[in-house]
Amino acid sequence: MMLSLDPGVHSKKTRAGIPADDIAMRCRVRLARNLADERFPDWATEHDRERVFGKVREALHAEAPGFRVESVAAFEEQDRDVLFESHLISKDLLERAAGGGVAYAPDSSICVMINEEDHLRIQGFSAGLDMLGAWQAADALDTRLERHLDYAWTPKLGYLTACPSNVGTGLRASGMLHLLGLRLVGEIESVVRGLERMRLLVRGIGGEGSEAAGQIYQISNMDSLGSDEAAIVRRVTRICAEVVQQEYNARARLIQESPMVLLDCLARSLSVLQNARLLATVEALEFLSAMRLGASLRLFTRLKVADVDKLILLMQPGHLQKGMGTALTSDERDERRSEFLRRKMASVRLKC
Amino acid sequence: MKCEMCHKAEAETAIRKGVEADAQELYVCQACARKAARRDAAAGTQAPVPQSGSDGMPPAPLMGMILDAAFEIVGRAISLSEPSCPVCGILRDEYRKRSRLGCPACYAAFAKELDTAVFELHRATQHVGKTPEKAKAAWQRQQLENALNDAVQGQRYEEAIALRDQLKKLAEQEGRQGEAV
Ligand SMILES: [Zn+2]
Ligand SMILES: [Zn+2]
Repeated sequence: MMLSLDPGVHSKKTRAGIPADDIAMRCRVRLARNLADERFPDWATEHDRERVFGKVREALHAEAPGFRVESVAAFEEQDRDVLFESHLISKDLLERAAGGGVAYAPDSSICVMINEEDHLRIQGFSAGLDMLGAWQAADALDTRLERHLDYAWTPKLGYLTACPSNVGTGLRASGMLHLLGLRLVGEIESVVRGLERMRLLVRGIGGEGSEAAGQIYQISNMDSLGSDEAAIVRRVTRICAEVVQQEYNARARLIQESPMVLLDCLARSLSVLQNARLLATVEALEFLSAMRLGASLRLFTRLKVADVDKLILLMQPGHLQKGMGTALTSDERDERRSEFLRRKMASVRLKC
Repeated sequence: MKCEMCHKAEAETAIRKGVEADAQELYVCQACARKAARRDAAAGTQAPVPQSGSDGMPPAPLMGMILDAAFEIVGRAISLSEPSCPVCGILRDEYRKRSRLGCPACYAAFAKELDTAVFELHRATQHVGKTPEKAKAAWQRQQLENALNDAVQGQRYEEAIALRDQLKKLAEQEGRQGEAV
């Protein structure tokens, strides 16, 4: 089998044709805030936490009347998983006891976690690398909430947080990047090391240890003290954009120099998804990651990046069970997941 | 409410006993809280260590190492009997183990160690950026009140009067701002 695409033409086409969002999936900026005269959630009693939840809920009702404010304890298990899988809230929040809460805008562009590690974690979300937009949204809500809440803040350390690693701006900006190309050309480790040397945190999504499942990485600032908010956001955005460019170069090189490595990876992934009878989440994510790369390079018929992103979400335990309308055991889920993905992949073909 | 361990002293703080799911919250006095912490440390069964933060901070053991290193440097200068935050009552040992402070006042209570830890973590010591006006005014008021107390106790009455006037002015400013909002 010959790879039938002209690398030169293809790379020119993709340079114009691939939106950066194919690699930069989404981004988030969060602000950690705490109330001045309350214990941090980890040391607070249930009663304390519920009082904090009440104060924050009142402030939200006054300043963000369109938001849904809910207590985590009131959630059905599947709904918790759905929120977590949608990256709106953290596992940490779900594991916490009374007083844990979540408030989110109807369009899910902003989400406030209440009584997670800090009293408030105001998170703005945006597509691609629009961290500035995500920050501005979170910052505006923060400014409004401050009218009603007494924040813990000092001129020297800025916003005081439960963990000293978040003091100062309390800001963490992170980009979620799909870096399978860098993995396939064997450069991901050196890129990650380079980022860490620049004091950025690199974490895999859904993976264990340093290896990211599906090669989806979250890159964020390590330091929250010493630079102002805009400078931190701009720096993380700029560095993420550089990584996107490196990933883009890796993909171009794959096509030009080792197309068979690429095609083999895509073909194997497609046939597993079309034939497997049991698929665990992390496993499915690995294969969908390859499909995502192939879709981005337009190497599959009937498959777009947005389709794959939807599948990545829908095949996760909470969404899967919600879709089926019933709770499933882990084994049942693996079976249903493989069925679901077989159906979705049935008509997809590799173009060459 | 009386301490749930000794049933004598007034309960001032909450501790958690047992692990994860069946952890139980007890309201106890400072002395019993300290006793429990020491016993847990000896048995190696202290409260579960919080896992890495939701957004990819170094996992707790690493954070612990950074904090430990900070203590190593300044720890010797601090006597072990200087134990706790006056507001929330947590012990230095406790927050080191969990890598989480008890309350905002802990930053003042453990300032010496935390200054070093903060620098290790951020390579910086001074906040730059957003200033919430209300919190800033509260901080200024607190500083003035502390200074006023000092001045009164030191019988420096002229200074005290000046400080009292500054506090008044601050209160007036806040009042005006409150109306404007
Ligand atoms: Zn007692
Ligand atoms: Zn404290």
